[in-house]
Amino acid sequence: MKAIYTCVKWLGWGENTSTLLIALLLISFLAPAQAVLTGRVTDQRGHALPGANVFLRGTYDGANTDSTGLFRFTSSRRDTATLLVSYLGYKPFSQKITLVQTPSLTIRLTEMANELNTVVITAGSFEASDEKRMTMLKPMDIVTTAGANADITAAMNLLPGTQRVGEQTGLFVRGGSGEEAKVIIDGMIVQNPYFSTMPDIQSRGRFQPFMFKGTSFSTGGYSAQYGQALSSVLLLNTTDKSSNNGMSVSLNLANTALSYDQASEKSSVSATAYYGNLKPLFALVPQNIDWTHVPEFTGSSLTYRLRPTKTGMLKFYGMYSDSKLGMNFLDPSADAGTTALQQRNRNFFTTSTYTDSWAEGKWLLNSGLSYSYDTDATTYSGADFGRGSERLQGRAVLTRLFGHGNAGPNSLLFGTEASRVTIRNTITGNTFSLHDKYGAVFVESQTYLGRNLAVQVGLRGEYSSVIGRFNLAPRLSLAYKTGPYSQVSMAYGQFYQTPDYRYLYRNTTLNYERADHLILNYQVIKNKRTFRVETFYKNYAQLVREFMNQPGSAARFDANPYRFPIGQTNNTGYGYAKGFDVFWRDQKTVKGLDYWITYSYVDSKRLFQQYPVEAMPTFISNHNISLISKRYFEKISTNLALTYTISSGRPYYNPNRDETTTGFLVDRTPMVNNLSFSASHITSIKKNRVVLYASVDNLLNTHNVFTDGKTRYAVGPQSYRSVFVGGMVMLSKKAKVNVNEL
Amino acid sequence: MKTIIILIITALAANNPVWAQSDQYKEAMSAAINTMKSHSEKSPPADMLASANQFERIASAEPTAWLPRYYAGLNYVYLGFMGKDEAEKDTYLDQADVNLKAAEAITPENDELAVLKAYIAQARMVVDPMSRWQQYGPLFQAGLEKAKVLNPNNPRIYALEGSSLMYTPEQFGGGTGTACPVLKQAAEKFATFKPASDLSPMWGEKQIEPMLAKCK
Repeated sequence: MKAIYTCVKWLGWGENTSTLLIALLLISFLAPAQAVLTGRVTDQRGHALPGANVFLRGTYDGANTDSTGLFRFTSSRRDTATLLVSYLGYKPFSQKITLVQTPSLTIRLTEMANELNTVVITAGSFEASDEKRMTMLKPMDIVTTAGANADITAAMNLLPGTQRVGEQTGLFVRGGSGEEAKVIIDGMIVQNPYFSTMPDIQSRGRFQPFMFKGTSFSTGGYSAQYGQALSSVLLLNTTDKSSNNGMSVSLNLANTALSYDQASEKSSVSATAYYGNLKPLFALVPQNIDWTHVPEFTGSSLTYRLRPTKTGMLKFYGMYSDSKLGMNFLDPSADAGTTALQQRNRNFFTTSTYTDSWAEGKWLLNSGLSYSYDTDATTYSGADFGRGSERLQGRAVLTRLFGHGNAGPNSLLFGTEASRVTIRNTITGNTFSLHDKYGAVFVESQTYLGRNLAVQVGLRGEYSSVIGRFNLAPRLSLAYKTGPYSQVSMAYGQFYQTPDYRYLYRNTTLNYERADHLILNYQVIKNKRTFRVETFYKNYAQLVREFMNQPGSAARFDANPYRFPIGQTNNTGYGYAKGFDVFWRDQKTVKGLDYWITYSYVDSKRLFQQYPVEAMPTFISNHNISLISKRYFEKISTNLALTYTISSGRPYYNPNRDETTTGFLVDRTPMVNNLSFSASHITSIKKNRVVLYASVDNLLNTHNVFTDGKTRYAVGPQSYRSVFVGGMVMLSKKAKVNVNEL
Repeated sequence: MKTIIILIITALAANNPVWAQSDQYKEAMSAAINTMKSHSEKSPPADMLASANQFERIASAEPTAWLPRYYAGLNYVYLGFMGKDEAEKDTYLDQADVNLKAAEAITPENDELAVLKAYIAQARMVVDPMSRWQQYGPLFQAGLEKAKVLNPNNPRIYALEGSSLMYTPEQFGGGTGTACPVLKQAAEKFATFKPASDLSPMWGEKQIEPMLAKCK
């Protein structure tokens, strides 16, 4: 440099010019004099990160780290620059550096939180989701399971913590009755999630599994966002877009359906219409029921989804169904032994939701409005036993997410929901009805204390106008990551539910029924294998007791589940349920084979309803085992599935015993077991894709008995071995089919 | 004297990054593209990652150029096919998405980016075809459809579509019967396709050759 200056001097240029010139020359000649940058990139523990990208912002100067994490590159930049280091899965690093003296740099990167390295609260919840990668089930599993018959509830009944109760409708979770579980779609409680119940027959859910992108089944200890369910909530989230485009026709032994989907970039519409009649099925499968009008049903649904903005999402879903049936059923109270039942059900359900986010996703809004109307025109031996319900509800939840920090985002949510419910029942010409205005507010926070520990705290307050009472329910969940693939979690909570409307017709001074849950969970998910064990204790309090006569004096137990309670009622009932369940799933050991095994144990006693003493309820079986397997054979493009279930015997009422001296509900039905099989095959006819499927339920034709209950007869399934065949044709070349949907 | 000063200043100006940008950019890009071309599906993932890094560095220096982002994304798609397990594949594809989004922010209506989007969807699907079919199948189609609208003569649309059909079982509307016409269409388009510049995407022609051989 000195030489240049001397050289300029020597040329004898004037002072002014030379100053400018020197400045220019200095820049010019300094540039090629390159700075050398060296260093090493490691993680927080000092392990080398090979392949990290190290460079100076806004320049072409940079290099990758080698296998030992070392880097070396030159830069023609002068003075200072910003050094950037990036490596997948790690937080980008940036630092201002001076290029004149560049000692060797040591850069330690911090790993970012992701699904694999961050703890998730899992106690009491069983998720099936396409969006999350670490789930135990995929939505497809619901449909491909033999014995589930593509019914969401039936598939859930194969999960740990559930009880299979063959002759009743609903989800029976960890000692809870069917009424203690609620079905929630996009945050909205569904008033009539199942087709109308018939005596001694299990009804299917009304909703098609393909409507949903995610299913979260809670076996207890659920979030403060939900309430009015003593044992469980089944959360269903509808899909954001249609996956098909075009028309498809399906035909099977029970019904025929048409569906049409149309999707554009911002919106999509799906419409379905169906007509069903079980005559063809019943012609093939011997029925244990004396049908006077074979079930016949028709319905339609419409879904519309719109993305008005980049972040907003509006969904509308509406459905209508109409069904008719008639049967002679065994009635414990009828002298003739059978009673003629005629039923016509009309159901309308609509829900619309709007979700949006602001400030780069820091604020989230989930809101919805839904309305349902259901009416059953029912007669027993010609007498009017009609019933109806109407529900209008609204819900809004606002969530604030806080910095992504070192782990998952911490969040705080608050929300409110309100509903107006009207219920009407006619009992031999006398009509009872009630109106309830229900409101709830809730807050919940989720905090990560590092990547290994998460805490969720919630509080829910509710008011029900029909009983004129408030309640306040705390919820708490913790999860701790014990290893790279394993974690333990815990959930505690109080849950309130307004008593059954049948009691409220005659007594509105009743209080909420309550359950307290404590759940401990341990799970390992590694390499497509899952092991999970969960243990629980549930305390039931304030359960409604009915007294057939005056309180204190014992009355005869009435085993008819359709009786109308006319006695006095109060909240002095109580009970408990405790047990554990185990889940093992393996998709790895045998290539192409996917199987899972669940075992659930529950021990429970209650003093409630008209029980004279504390006893194990009739809907409980101590042991439930299910074994599910499926395999896809690519060469013949056929999916085969086999499901085997065993449930130990359940208590039944034996009218020949004197309940005070020889015991109440001490008899047990025989064990129930069922082997079912399903197969589906894909082919094409004239370039239209065709899906054919067949299933056999109760392959071994076991004559199961669900309950010996009632008076002097036993209740079994609607049919023993049954078969089902059908097919679907997609009348569009764009139509897509997934082997796993079959 | 004045001449000398002007000469010196001119010389300095040539050295100035603002003036020299396009040359430096072209040089860096051709170097990176050449390195990338030397890779094959048998190259170690570390080499692909090095290439992706190289393009990301250029992208950081040239915030208005979409091509470095495009090539970085493409390298991550290749890595998405090569990752050792599902989680790793998804991590690579997440980064492919990051680069795609950055490129789309520069030029939203671009047929090559629509093809890349379809390619990413295909790679996502391949990670776990059984359970991802439903989600990514339509995204793959949507990417190709959009590319066709923007530039029906882009041969890579048909190359990608044809190779996907080739590996789809016949029962699902794939196989040589449906794949070959599409692949032949791709070959025809490749014959007449003129890339916009030396740096423009040029892959696809070689990749479909072994498949076209099966079509005879």
